[in-house]
Amino acid sequence: METKTLDHTELANEIIDVIVKEGMVDREKATLDATIESLDLKSIDIVMILTAIEEKFDVYIPMDGPFHEAKNIGDLIDAIAAYIIKEKN
Amino acid sequence: MASARRIFVTGMGAVSAAGVGAKPLWEAARGGRSCVSEAHFIRPYRGRIRIAAQVQDFDPGVYLSSSELPFCDPVTQYLLVAADEAIAQAGLAAAKPMGPRTATIIGTGIGGMHTIENGLYLSLVEQGRPDPLTVPRLIPSACPSLLSIRYGARGPCFAVASACSSATQAIGMGAHLIRSGLVDRAIVGGTEDCVSNSAMLAWEALRVLTPDACRPFSKGRNGMVLGAGAGVFVLEAAEIAEARGAEALVEMAGYGTSADAKDPVRPDAGGAAACMRYALADAEVDAEEIDYVNAHGTGTTANDATESEALGAVFGTRLAKLPISSTKPIHGHALGAAGALELIVTIGAIRENVAPPTINWREADAKCPVDAVPNEARPMPIRTALTNSFAFGGINASLVVRRAAAA
Repeated sequence: METKTLDHTELANEIIDVIVKEGMVDREKATLDATIESLDLKSIDIVMILTAIEEKFDVYIPMDGPFHEAKNIGDLIDAIAAYIIKEKN
Repeated sequence: MASARRIFVTGMGAVSAAGVGAKPLWEAARGGRSCVSEAHFIRPYRGRIRIAAQVQDFDPGVYLSSSELPFCDPVTQYLLVAADEAIAQAGLAAAKPMGPRTATIIGTGIGGMHTIENGLYLSLVEQGRPDPLTVPRLIPSACPSLLSIRYGARGPCFAVASACSSATQAIGMGAHLIRSGLVDRAIVGGTEDCVSNSAMLAWEALRVLTPDACRPFSKGRNGMVLGAGAGVFVLEAAEIAEARGAEALVEMAGYGTSADAKDPVRPDAGGAAACMRYALADAEVDAEEIDYVNAHGTGTTANDATESEALGAVFGTRLAKLPISSTKPIHGHALGAAGALELIVTIGAIRENVAPPTINWREADAKCPVDAVPNEARPMPIRTALTNSFAFGGINASLVVRRAAAA
């Protein structure tokens, strides 16, 4: 994973951009430890975010385990980034 | 409904992925035989999700005349074929015209989806001239109206469009019209076929479709599988059915419906629990009397956890011991027809004293603390059963049915 640290940080910022836009949340509130509930992100918001991520990165993100277990923005980014890195590699 | 007019189901019919007939549908459900397969489309399909419980090898020309077919989208074809079966079972095949005391009420989420898709493709992509019968074929009300024409039923006739609660609401409304005395008989049910190219893509975009297997209430579930078909019932005032010597398949004992009034897509346990309670109250039965529940059980993470919570609110400490299965992995989620297909299964469960299984179930999920009748049918006495339908928009509907002999 070390070799992907930079990629991941860059990717994380781009993913946050999408979360802020599609989830209609304030940028300053979208910290890694911000919980999904605290940002009032509902399941349909996650759907909109994932769809925008797919468009942006030209990947397919299935809705399975990691997304349901995501508690905060950091978990969500990790789940999304894992799929992007997997498809791009 | 116990204090007023009692209502019998005297006939039922179906078209589903299990084939033509209520019997093959019930047998597939009882046997845990999935009817899900790779879906076929008339135009190239670019979706990632390719499985559905599609109605396949259905030749409408075998059942319907060349003068009727131009008016019939596939949903109407399924409906009329299922209705003929129900009418024949009720012993009413020679009772046409049925006159002003018979209602026709049919649920469908969309109506003529294939006609809509084909019409749009023709007019927008091919720049062609639409078929002149496009409009009468695609309207949701074509379903009940063609039914009324077929049987000369001149009573109340309307479509119910409440997404996945459509059929259950249509059935419940028919029962209440009989109970109110407005009609004596109602031909009710639901029909749907959204296994089309554009509709499947739209469902995939919502991320609620499983790419592999629908496993309701199980840990590791990852979505629903679309189904299609129609289910039709003949409801009759008990005294009218008895007077003509008709056999009651079951008693339609109660109907409940509620709105969450909360979220367009996210289900709510409070609204679902209220709906079940209304159905029990309407049937004048206690929660303790329910022997089996045919759950909405879509296999999505959200529905099954929320439905489990709602069931817990209604059934309390009995929850872990009450058999609650979802047969959607078998016949698919038929959306506006779902409640009708599942009522056929529920009636089968009562008549044969067998709880059909929730197939594809792997292991318990702490968020779904229910006895899902995993993978194997369970013979057991079933006298009274509850069946649930919950829809986008927070529209909930439940029915209580009961063994007729014990009513």
